[in-house]
Amino acid sequence: MDWIKQIGRYIVVMLLQVLLLDQLQLWGACHPYVYILCLLMMPITLPHSVSMVIGAAVGLVMDIFCNSLGVHTAACILLMFIRPYLIGVIVNDKDRLNEQISLRAIGMEALIKYVVILVLIHHLTVFLLAAWSWAHIGFVLLETLVSSLITISLIISYNALRYK
Amino acid sequence: MQTLLKILLRYSNFLVFIALEVAAFMLLSRNNVYPRSSILSTANSFVAWQNEQIHEINSYFHLRSMNEQLAAENAALRNQICSMDSAQTGESFHYVPAKAVEMTTDRLHNYVTINKGSKDGIQRGQGVRNEDGVVGIIRTVGPNYSVVLPIINTYTNLSCRFTKNDYIGTLQWNGKDCRFAQLADVAAHMVVNPGDTIITSGLSPVFPEGIPVGIVESSVLKEGDSYHTIRVRLHTNFKRLKYVEIVQNAAQNELEDLHHGLD
Repeated sequence: MDWIKQIGRYIVVMLLQVLLLDQLQLWGACHPYVYILCLLMMPITLPHSVSMVIGAAVGLVMDIFCNSLGVHTAACILLMFIRPYLIGVIVNDKDRLNEQISLRAIGMEALIKYVVILVLIHHLTVFLLAAWSWAHIGFVLLETLVSSLITISLIISYNALRYK
Repeated sequence: MQTLLKILLRYSNFLVFIALEVAAFMLLSRNNVYPRSSILSTANSFVAWQNEQIHEINSYFHLRSMNEQLAAENAALRNQICSMDSAQTGESFHYVPAKAVEMTTDRLHNYVTINKGSKDGIQRGQGVRNEDGVVGIIRTVGPNYSVVLPIINTYTNLSCRFTKNDYIGTLQWNGKDCRFAQLADVAAHMVVNPGDTIITSGLSPVFPEGIPVGIVESSVLKEGDSYHTIRVRLHTNFKRLKYVEIVQNAAQNELEDLHHGLD
């Protein structure tokens, strides 16, 4: 997939994130961050350090919209740092990894593992950093679970519809 | 030196990761301590504009709840005014906000149904008003809803007075036009001009004195009549009635018992 398409998808996903998902106020604990879909699906062939810089940029833009400078930036850098190692562990068939990470490239089982682990890590980091203390750890965990559930299902369904 | 370079190259990705994370945490901690940078926050004009648009759109979805909130606040403010007044006059009125859920305006015996009942302390005989003026008197009370006999019902009589000289009259309705009512019992010697303001008299325990009722539209005194025929333009627009307040008088039961004692 060429970069124009990647950037186009990023803009659409950011619009969805800012205009719709950020407006949700479900029980105060539901903040799905679907914008990481773009980061998750970026080709793994990209140099590791470059992908981390892209992660930092995407996180920074999200931070500006959330008024939470540094929170999403740190979480996205962590996400992009872990990504290649995780792919190395869960994907056996490395032949198709020259394209973007999608259902078509790595299969359903690997995709679910990949998305669940990375989304949980990202959301947990975001909510922990945003809370900035251990005092609300119970609520942070609940927030992580509820929000991750929605983010994961949205990302998996996007893959299932687009790349079956 | 060469080994050091090799190690740096080998761990370059990790070093980039550490450097980026340190930068992110510096942003994070600075943001917690110092004032936010205006570009890197929602004060950024594009982001602010975008947020404003969203807020604008969202506010339409909240209009209903905001209206209800305002109605409740109005009732609370009126209660405060009343408690100040009651300190002077010894009267004590209390207001309960409600919503009109059903009404008629084109019959002889019109009625209004409101969404408060005995569970909210509503009793038969209590007055109902809205922002503009008098609406009517509670006729039937259910657990959650009540029926109001509005002043545009031919059964209703309401004691009113002129603001200019405190002269008393009885407001009635002839069943024709829901915008106008008739003021009876105003003697011929009294001078009535179009534009005179009519308010509640405060002589019945139902309404406190001074709730707006209407303005004299026209007044006719036929040869030999001892009473004026006065047409009053009502302040309350019954066609658009929505939020109302029920007037509760703490002394109402006592006063009614006294009146029954006289009969």
